[in-house]
Amino acid sequence: MAASDSKLTARKRKADVDEEPEPTLKAPANLEMLSDEEDGEDIGSDDGEFEEFPEIDTGDSESDDDEGDDGDDSEEDEPDVSDEEDSADSDDSEIHIFPKAKNVISDITGQPKRVYPEIEPDYDSDSSTEDTPNRVGDIPMHWYDDLPHVGYDMNGKQVLRPAKGDELDKFLQTVEDPSAWTSAFDKKAQADKPLSEQELDIIRRLYEGENPDGNYDPYEPTTEWFTSKVEAMPLSAAPEPKRRWVPSKWEKQKVMKIVRAIRQGRILPSKPKTSSTKPDFYAIWNEPPTSHPPPLPAPKPPLPTNAQSYNPPEEYLPTDKERAEWEALDAEDRERDFLPQKYPSLRLVPAYDQFIKDRFNRQLDLYLAPRIQRKKLNIDPNSLIPKLPSPSSLKPFPNYKSLKFTHAAGRARAISVSPDGAWVVSGDEGGVVSLWEVNVGREVKRWKFGDKIGAVEWCPRVDVCYFVVGIEEKLHFIIPPNLPAAVVTATRAALAPAILPPPPATPSSVKWTSISTDAWRDSPILTLALPPSSGLVKQIAWHRRGDYLASVSSGGGVWMHQITKRHSQEPFKRVRGAVQLVLFHPTKPHFFVATQQYVRVYNLMEQKLLKTLQPGIKWISSMDVHPSGDHLIVGGYDRKLCWFDLELSDKPYKVLRYHSRAIRSLHFHPSYPLFASSSDDGTVQIFHARVYNDLMTDPLIVPLKILRSHSIKDGLGVLQVKWCSRQPWLVTGGADGNAMVWCS
Amino acid sequence: MGRLRQKGKAGAAKAYVTRTAAIRKLQCSLADFRRLCILKGIFPRDPRHKKKANKGSSAPTSFYYAKDIAYLAHEPVLRKLREHKAFAKKLSRALGRGEWSNAKSLEDHKPVYRLDHIIKERYPSFIDAVRDIDDALCMVFLFATLPSNSRLPPELIENCARLAAEWQLYVMHSRSLRKAFLSIKGVYYQAEVMDQTVTWLVPYQFTQSIPADVDVRVMLTFLELYQTLLGFVFFKLYTDVGLAYPPPLDAKMDEGAAGVGAFSLQPAVRADAPVASKAKVVEIDGKKVSGKDVRQTIKNITASSKCASMDVDEPEADASGPADEVDEEFVPQPSSTDPSTSTSLPTLQSLTSLPQTLSTSLFSPYTFFLSRETSRPIFEFLVRSFGGRIGWPASSGSGSPFDETDDSITHVIIDRPVVERTNESPEERERRLRRKYVQPQWVVDCINAGKILLEGTYEQGKTLPPHLSPFGEYEGAYDPLAGQDDEAAAEEEASESGESADEDDAMDAESAEPDAGKLALQAAADAAATVDDPAVLRAAEIAAEAAGVDFTTFEKQVKKSQKKAKSKVVDSAVEDAEKDMNKMMMSNKQKKLYEKVKHSQNKKAAERATLEDRKKAIQKQKQRDARSKS
Repeated sequence: MAASDSKLTARKRKADVDEEPEPTLKAPANLEMLSDEEDGEDIGSDDGEFEEFPEIDTGDSESDDDEGDDGDDSEEDEPDVSDEEDSADSDDSEIHIFPKAKNVISDITGQPKRVYPEIEPDYDSDSSTEDTPNRVGDIPMHWYDDLPHVGYDMNGKQVLRPAKGDELDKFLQTVEDPSAWTSAFDKKAQADKPLSEQELDIIRRLYEGENPDGNYDPYEPTTEWFTSKVEAMPLSAAPEPKRRWVPSKWEKQKVMKIVRAIRQGRILPSKPKTSSTKPDFYAIWNEPPTSHPPPLPAPKPPLPTNAQSYNPPEEYLPTDKERAEWEALDAEDRERDFLPQKYPSLRLVPAYDQFIKDRFNRQLDLYLAPRIQRKKLNIDPNSLIPKLPSPSSLKPFPNYKSLKFTHAAGRARAISVSPDGAWVVSGDEGGVVSLWEVNVGREVKRWKFGDKIGAVEWCPRVDVCYFVVGIEEKLHFIIPPNLPAAVVTATRAALAPAILPPPPATPSSVKWTSISTDAWRDSPILTLALPPSSGLVKQIAWHRRGDYLASVSSGGGVWMHQITKRHSQEPFKRVRGAVQLVLFHPTKPHFFVATQQYVRVYNLMEQKLLKTLQPGIKWISSMDVHPSGDHLIVGGYDRKLCWFDLELSDKPYKVLRYHSRAIRSLHFHPSYPLFASSSDDGTVQIFHARVYNDLMTDPLIVPLKILRSHSIKDGLGVLQVKWCSRQPWLVTGGADGNAMVWCS
Repeated sequence: MGRLRQKGKAGAAKAYVTRTAAIRKLQCSLADFRRLCILKGIFPRDPRHKKKANKGSSAPTSFYYAKDIAYLAHEPVLRKLREHKAFAKKLSRALGRGEWSNAKSLEDHKPVYRLDHIIKERYPSFIDAVRDIDDALCMVFLFATLPSNSRLPPELIENCARLAAEWQLYVMHSRSLRKAFLSIKGVYYQAEVMDQTVTWLVPYQFTQSIPADVDVRVMLTFLELYQTLLGFVFFKLYTDVGLAYPPPLDAKMDEGAAGVGAFSLQPAVRADAPVASKAKVVEIDGKKVSGKDVRQTIKNITASSKCASMDVDEPEADASGPADEVDEEFVPQPSSTDPSTSTSLPTLQSLTSLPQTLSTSLFSPYTFFLSRETSRPIFEFLVRSFGGRIGWPASSGSGSPFDETDDSITHVIIDRPVVERTNESPEERERRLRRKYVQPQWVVDCINAGKILLEGTYEQGKTLPPHLSPFGEYEGAYDPLAGQDDEAAAEEEASESGESADEDDAMDAESAEPDAGKLALQAAADAAATVDDPAVLRAAEIAAEAAGVDFTTFEKQVKKSQKKAKSKVVDSAVEDAEKDMNKMMMSNKQKKLYEKVKHSQNKKAAERATLEDRKKAIQKQKQRDARSKS
């Protein structure tokens, strides 16, 4: 088959060739002629150019000859070269080492052909037998470096190293010898030898990047030594061998072997489709299970409830509103993926159109949803509420409103209870300060000021009796009426002494003005004028001894006033943040300053910062210190109340958030373990706050009572809470203009 | 100082890999990865700290356990998938070149993967597998009803239908069906196999169309796994009860839409002795064992084994055999099959019998006939699972064991309105009167109740009582039967007391009346105390007088209850206030948890309350309607 195939293709190709133009058609005729001359040559070589191939050898041999000549004697060479040069000059002025070929028209073929000069086989013509006298052969010549000779000649005599001149000689030689620059050192001869013309030509060609052989033609046409053309006549007349057309016996034997194997089933022509021989299903669980725990089974979908019935009780059917709501929701947000429906009989139940979607969603859950094992909390929520002692066991605390005192003008912003707990001073935003009794709520006296009252505070001293009212940039010191004469004189002596103490070394900008006449009964006996534009005095804090008093203005300025020396000073040159509140420590010479977010504790004696408390409140609204001095509560406009254990940490011990609006005021009871907080939500919260001397026991905070009676006005609720010092009674002032007393 | 720990070398960063990383590691496409995850049951995890697991990035990604992915890397299926990829390339190349013979031989050597090792891996024990066949059954039952198309080859649908039929056959044979529920989505069945409850949902017989937003590839991958799983599970279930798996299919009957009946259960051929004993066990499970039975079986084991094998041979005989036996058991009450007195039997049963725990032969005394508008697959399965015989008209498919004229038919399941029949032959009329015509819901309600219910309310053309879920709800959920039960109990009590008065003595009645008076007094007093309305008080007084209570006792009672109520109110208010205040002292975490629990409780309570309110409103409306009618 293969043979016939090749024949076919050959024929095809021949047909292709037949279509070519005439000159090629002539080729076969030429071939016959040529084949006489050079047998074995193929058809393609009928062009004259191809004849150069066999002649390359001659060129080579000639070049060898030349080299041999050069090696012997340069004198002889030179004329040759010059001859050649002459001849070369004649046609293209190029140096040709190889014998020059001539292009002649062959008189046999009529084609141009190249003819090389004949070689005369004289003794002279070939100098290849002559050789260098040194016969050491091809050895590394450095073996002779240390010897006087450089080798041996044909007769076994030493060839002595030619004398070598010094550098000057060399130089002179180069000057004298014009061919010095074309000579090279020959190691065997240990002397410079001029390069032959061929060598120089090769060097030049290499240098120019050409082929070193001058006669090499890179563009000669290809010779098709083996052609695809099938000739009509065979080249050889030998008969075709039998093996060409008799089928092979061995091949047959091999094929039969395979056939037999296939018949016997040893070789399967095509393997079965499934590679394994196992049956589809078998007893897979018969062998004992592995020790691996099985993977967690996927959670099962919830079982259907009554609502999913085709005939549910009527109460399960959704109302129109529920239906609209369900339809308005996105499919993912719906609590149920179906709407309950009622059909009177089973044959009326239609197909459920979401069936495949449901199945698909379940599968998505199975392979795409992350699964977490969660402990299901099955606890009674009431068990989370902390168990605290019952409020009824923590009596007394105020739990009912005993009386109400109304300020007609507006918000009762400032309230203070006298140290003996019998009198209350309350100031409102209309500029009225009222003095009334705690027990009956009768107003004893009223002072009218021009502007709104910022703060009111009784002096904590018991031997004297007066209170301070903060209005605008002034502090007014007022003596209440109906006092025993002794107290009045003592008070007057304290506030308006006959002999003024010597003025302080550093005069301050606060003016102290006191009146010594009887006008004190209706007007302030002493007035402190803070520097103008310092703002309303919004808080007054007394030191426990009643000699010092600190005031905070709405501008943020803090002043400390000393009554006995009638001197005021600014304790802080510069305070970071706006000062909200200040407080004196009840036992130590410490001073609390609350800015918007922090509470700083200063030591007044050493005049340095002790610590900064961080309540984490956005805006501090109120602050009070426990009578023991170790605990501080701070309330904020963001509804938080922080309890600080001052010995424990800078961070709050407990943070409570129970008011629904901003905390306005806080106060610890001076003797009972109680504190109260008021808020803008109109409520007052009473806490039991027991503090233990034992450092290990945490303070006990129990909410006791929520007092609701104040109404909310303009978003403001209860503005101020104060305890009566001797009884567990609370006085509160609200934005609705009412001051109330709560009794136990 | 310990060794420096580099970031991302331990902990969550090593334990989790993102999906992209997993795909890159496995060097497969996303589709192949999904397929592997489905087959191997690998699902994403939620790391506790997403940022730590994701190299500091908090971008939303899905994470897998790194170990899961490492195991996946050695999965034979993954190798086969890769081979398949190469095969697909070769095939497309051959097809593109038009080398058909090459393509054919390639197609013949298409790489095929097996899933048995995955089944064994995912379900190390048989119980694990049975526990997890719910989804598989749902899918198989769904696909058994889907129309085939280019994406769903008919062989797949056929295989699904076969698996579904095999499961139904097994459940019927082993009598393991427990509950059924007709929902708007389809029919829920619950069976108990190997002590595991298996619940599956079968859609009603309608043509389903696959919505466009469903990825069929995912469903088919799941189905591939499920088919294999069910094959292995059924093999084990069948061989354990001594049946041959797969059961041979009668092609002719299948052509005639015989459904489940086209398959015949045959005993397994190999290992005769154990098979026989197993078959016997099953048989015993099917009926109630008596000492006599045991003795008989001991006497002639060979006979019994023969009998068992014969039973198994013919499923219809199997169904009828135990039915007959049970009939024999019911010999003391021969009226059960007698149509004229059969009304009394269910009432007796419903009154006397406790809810049976295992009433697997509930329908064995009865023979059913399906009307042509009822769904045959559903009710054939339900009735035969509980031992009943069932026949159907030829329009519902072939293979009915008897036709409509059969005398043994006791119940006809019919789902159409009553039509007056004018031309009725006397024997037809006689037959009609002898049989009971019930609506389909009766069958399911009987199964769920575990007893034969009164047919009266389920008769043809009557408004059906509501069909309730047998699966129950969470504790404290709304119970639609709560009010009814009370009413029914009261009625029963009343009737009983009436009967007792008739039959025995009047003592009971006498003792009951003062009780009633006392009760009325108490109720009235309570009402007066709580409402604080003089009109109500007056009404209560009148009621008390009517009950024969003198005024002084009444007043005392009222005062007492008033005091009690007040103190109760005060106490509870105080306690609530204290509790509210104590809530202030809860930490933030506790507060949130408390709110959460409370929220869910309130939601459930609100749900219940709305349902109760709605029920009351409906009842009122009904009463009003009735009154206006009368």
